[in-house]
Amino acid sequence: MHRYIGRRLLGLPLVIIMVSVLVFALTRIGGTPIGPYLEPGMTDEEIAALEERFNLDEPLPMQYLAWLGGVVQGDLGWSAVAAAPVVDVFRQRIPASFELGAFAALWAVTLGVGLGTFAARRRNRMGDQVAGVMAVGGASMPTFWLGIVLLIIFWSYLGWFPHGRSSPEIWAGIPHPTGFYTIDALLAGSLAAMKDALWHLVLPALTLGYAAVGIVTRMMRSSLLEEMGKDYVDAARARGLPENLVVRRHARRNAFIPTITVIGLSIGIMFEGTVVVETIFGWPGLGSWMASSVLSGDQGTTLAFVIFTSVLFVTINMAVDVIYGYLDRRVVLRKT
Amino acid sequence: MWFHAVRTEESVRAEQPARVVRESPARVKARRLLGTTKEVFSRGSTAVGAVVIVLLLGMAIFAPLIMPANPRGAYQMPRDLSAVAVPPGTEGHLLGTTRMGGDVLYGIVWGARLSLQLSIYVVAGAVIIGIIVGSTAGIVGGKVDAVLMRIVDVFLSIPTLVFPLAIAAVLGPSFANIVVALAVIMWARYARIVRSQILQVREEDYVDAARAIGDSRFGIIRRDILPNSFTPVAVQATLDMGHAVLLGATLAFIGLAVAGQAEWGTLVSEGQADIIAGRWWTSTFPGLMVFLWALSFNLVGDGLRDALDPRTEGR
Repeated sequence: MHRYIGRRLLGLPLVIIMVSVLVFALTRIGGTPIGPYLEPGMTDEEIAALEERFNLDEPLPMQYLAWLGGVVQGDLGWSAVAAAPVVDVFRQRIPASFELGAFAALWAVTLGVGLGTFAARRRNRMGDQVAGVMAVGGASMPTFWLGIVLLIIFWSYLGWFPHGRSSPEIWAGIPHPTGFYTIDALLAGSLAAMKDALWHLVLPALTLGYAAVGIVTRMMRSSLLEEMGKDYVDAARARGLPENLVVRRHARRNAFIPTITVIGLSIGIMFEGTVVVETIFGWPGLGSWMASSVLSGDQGTTLAFVIFTSVLFVTINMAVDVIYGYLDRRVVLRKT
Repeated sequence: MWFHAVRTEESVRAEQPARVVRESPARVKARRLLGTTKEVFSRGSTAVGAVVIVLLLGMAIFAPLIMPANPRGAYQMPRDLSAVAVPPGTEGHLLGTTRMGGDVLYGIVWGARLSLQLSIYVVAGAVIIGIIVGSTAGIVGGKVDAVLMRIVDVFLSIPTLVFPLAIAAVLGPSFANIVVALAVIMWARYARIVRSQILQVREEDYVDAARAIGDSRFGIIRRDILPNSFTPVAVQATLDMGHAVLLGATLAFIGLAVAGQAEWGTLVSEGQADIIAGRWWTSTFPGLMVFLWALSFNLVGDGLRDALDPRTEGR
């Protein structure tokens, strides 16, 4: 077990290095890396100093190593859009995205597990089919369109939910030690701020989580159906346990194990989804920053975001595998 | 009772008709194909998906007949300045117009054609790269296999939206670059499918036989291995026809397509500004098309997989 984790941990940098090579190659296809730093009226010496900083006179592999060295030390470059170092903007914008992602994941997992259980218990009946349609619908739904339709209905027409992350006057009324609006509101003990935070979260979290609901529902349904056909479930029934208890205490706990894999997967998908969802809802997180950076050709930001997301993806995948191994004792984690 | 079991020679002859059905291989193949097709489409959702696909493809193929092409460029949204931002149901503009006077129905019809092109280019590109890499890995084996499969692993583990986004951003906003960006991300799955099929198939007796009668490696790949990989590749390709349009529209929505084009994602993106003015139709209809496209290919892809892959039965 520990050897397996060690092996996976060793494999992690390999994947990350390969991603970084790809990303670095992209930067060089895109043009000179000193672009974002150039300003009109710079002297030749200043430009030469910039070129020196990026080791442009050295061969590409050396340039790559220099760049990688910077990344490892936390120098992700300069964001032209924010006119600040990429790392600073990351730090400032991460809480908004994580807060949104956490709420999206919360409702997606709760509903997905619930719907999956519901569907499995009503196999091939009406409820099952409705859940099935929802699951396929989730996989086919363009996130950008869902967000816009929700905005049209609940913001433009009904006026039930707001746009953006906060009402400025309420946001300004409390201190923000963590940057997570809901936690800050709790710390400040302000009910108005809490309500404001949650109110703004509803539509974007709903949009972001929808795709994952489908994935989780499907997996939960199929793994629960598989568990329900096993002998230990029959044994539990034969002992006279009520069906509800059999499902909840026995079958569902085991069915949950494979579902964890897809939950990890959906968290990665959700993180990507922030690019679209934050743009639509005017959410001041990493995703909307990425979208505007892409459009304005801000490569420093784009590439930092790609590296960050890739590392997140790979780490989540690994964490999920390890958790899976711990939970399901039948899985022997060894060399593949 | 025991004497019922006694069989006379005559009764045996009567039970077993000595008729030998002689059918040409082509007919047997055709009959099997028909049977499979029936099985695939016996499920309601698959049949519905197939009907929607036929309608969408019809719209894409016959676009010039449905809506006359814009003389300034077929994929350029026409501008009717006499009818700017009119609601659906207006004379001559069934689904309304954008605030630039672009007919929404025109965008939907020609957008279908663009989506069809996008999905075919992306999937074809991904399948070709996947087959080349996968068969190289499977046949050469050893170190080459190990290196190639690590690369495949990397491509399977990188984010499917953000990475194409970065590629398209670096290459610059255009339709062709979206195609390249998506093909670059999608080939890895095919490589894995083809490789695993090769590893399975090459243990089969008929491949040994082919080798024994002196078939070349390339001949074995072409005649024995590729046809056997066809089913899983076809299933994945069907699903990817939907994914490609979904991802492509998302990239276009973020702004990586050419502005003013009859492309669904672009139309939704440009319609965003209309929401606050209460003009819901400019973004709703094109987005609905993306959903329908992705949904129908997902339904048919799932149906194919369930019918052709015995492992997923009952799920």
